[in-house]
Amino acid sequence: MSGVFLEGIVKRYGSLSVVHGIDLEIKPREFVVLVGPSGCGKSTTLRMIAGLEEISDGTLRIGDRVMNRVAPKDRDVAMVFQNYALYPHLNVADNMAFGLRIRKTPKDEIAKSIEEVAQILGLTEYLERRPADLSGGQRQRVAMGRAIVRHPDVFLFDEPLSNLDAKLRTQMRAEIKRLHKRLGVTSIYVTHDQVEAMTLADRIVVMADGRIEQIGTPMDLFNNPVNTFVAGFIGSPPMNQFSAVIEEGQGGLVARANGTTIPLPALEELRGAAGRDVVVGIRPEHVHLGAEEGTSAIPIELDLIETLGSEALLHTHVGNETFVAKVETHGEIGHLQGVNALHVKPERVKLFDRETGRAIGRAA
Amino acid sequence: MKNMNLYSRGDKIFVFANMVLIALFTVAALYPFIYIAALSFSSGFAAAAGKVVLTPIELTLAAYERVMSEPAFWNSYKNTFIYTFGGTLTSLLIVIPGAYALSRPQLWGRRFWNLLVAFTMWFHAGMIPFFLNMRDLGLLDSYFGIIIGFAVNAFNIILLRNFFESIPTSFEEAARMDGANEWQVLWKVFVPLSKPAIATITLFCIVARWNGFFWAMVLLTDEGKIPLQVYLRHTIAELSDDEEFSSTLLSAPYSVETVTAAIIVCSIIPVLLIYPWVQKYFNKGILLGGVKE
Repeated sequence: MSGVFLEGIVKRYGSLSVVHGIDLEIKPREFVVLVGPSGCGKSTTLRMIAGLEEISDGTLRIGDRVMNRVAPKDRDVAMVFQNYALYPHLNVADNMAFGLRIRKTPKDEIAKSIEEVAQILGLTEYLERRPADLSGGQRQRVAMGRAIVRHPDVFLFDEPLSNLDAKLRTQMRAEIKRLHKRLGVTSIYVTHDQVEAMTLADRIVVMADGRIEQIGTPMDLFNNPVNTFVAGFIGSPPMNQFSAVIEEGQGGLVARANGTTIPLPALEELRGAAGRDVVVGIRPEHVHLGAEEGTSAIPIELDLIETLGSEALLHTHVGNETFVAKVETHGEIGHLQGVNALHVKPERVKLFDRETGRAIGRAA
Repeated sequence: MKNMNLYSRGDKIFVFANMVLIALFTVAALYPFIYIAALSFSSGFAAAAGKVVLTPIELTLAAYERVMSEPAFWNSYKNTFIYTFGGTLTSLLIVIPGAYALSRPQLWGRRFWNLLVAFTMWFHAGMIPFFLNMRDLGLLDSYFGIIIGFAVNAFNIILLRNFFESIPTSFEEAARMDGANEWQVLWKVFVPLSKPAIATITLFCIVARWNGFFWAMVLLTDEGKIPLQVYLRHTIAELSDDEEFSSTLLSAPYSVETVTAAIIVCSIIPVLLIYPWVQKYFNKGILLGGVKE
């Protein structure tokens, strides 16, 4: 298996630049997810790797070969498209065999490969059917089968689950993860769904406006977002963020916002930071209903409770700012009605520079 | 619950008027065919007397016997098949790759080439320069001249180009990722996906070739190479000028009209046989299921 290396990759359409010099190193067998909002350049980047878009500047290498001017067919990559792109005039077996036939693979080898892959994907009984006679999940599986059967060096996935319903998406997500574990092929996966990114990726690349904002493992991104954009993008619901000023408190530095005082972690970067304008970030999952050792209380005004089953989302107000908390229900929500304060540990509080949006310090 | 009336009075009148109009057009289109068929099976006397309206009068196969006993009829029939089959095949082999090239955004000067093709739909050199061109190329009185001289049809190219443009680009991209080159993308993906459009232009080509009369008359002088339509004209002229035939008109079991009608019926049959085969592609959405809209 080969790694994929992007060095200063730029994409321009005329004078309009949409990808502004991306540097990314994807190791062999790694599963990397490009995530970001619509128009951030993630699909364009993927299509440049596939060879479906020309690279305006920079160098793309797959393994040790420079691929900038190599045709898609000679890159040894396979792609799963968002809309499946199955050939409607061919049945499942022929769809999967298409690429192998083009490459003049011997017939018995094709039949063997198709049989194997169909078995892996549970498609054996649908081999004679046409795409129109399959469900969404089955079609998506055929699209994956078409990619797998070629044994490519790199898999590219362009939002492959976005057309499926929620239940099927969860199911297919697990299947993709299982497949990657089994096949160990270097995979690059594009999605705007951060849940998909978190569950599938070895590493996530968060993109915005044609630039990489952060690269890291899912937990790294969740715990240590480098800026307010990543903090707001990764996590569901997103991190609560509100403006505050750092002040000297009794036990150390605190952030004061909307009449609320929030104790801050003891960070080297905060030495002498009193008076600094910051953005405070607290994840909805990082607050508690009751006081625990080392926590401090944030007075809130409860607005709405959204019940998710084992968990509930408390939509609250801290001063003028909205604040969402995710708490466990233990099977009932009666005890949540009278909540008037939430508790947070100082080390869970993230700080960002208000001007640049960059994270201050790096807590555990 | 009270029944809801989904259509207003105006809607109903509109639908009714449409149905009446369609019925009238259908009758207007069908009647000449029924009349010709009836005429071909009628006696020469009944035809000459103008008695035939809807059904054969004095039923006879005499006109068909007269037509089919002529070796020239079978020869022209064979020629028409050659011109139709060869011409349609040549047309498709030129029109399909041409339309594909014009539909590709990456074609250099695409707008110009499209304009150039469309230009020929409205403006052309005219009959005499075309005739001189064919003469200078040595294409008079030849099968090849008739086949190749009319192989490119701008309307068909534009029709097919538009269809190709409507095919989602992901099919092309998927094929390219699968290793297909442009030629393979065209013949293994676009052509199978474009069966309805190709069936349509094939039918247009077949009908135009089968009914080809004017240019065949202008470019072909060799009686052995004329198609059915030109043969039909020659037959009408011959029988009308044939004094012996005219003198026996009242006693002959066929007339100019019934023989003409019999030739027309014979010439229509192959097109009628082809149409149901082509028609199945017209109603079918071939792209169904391939992509998720």
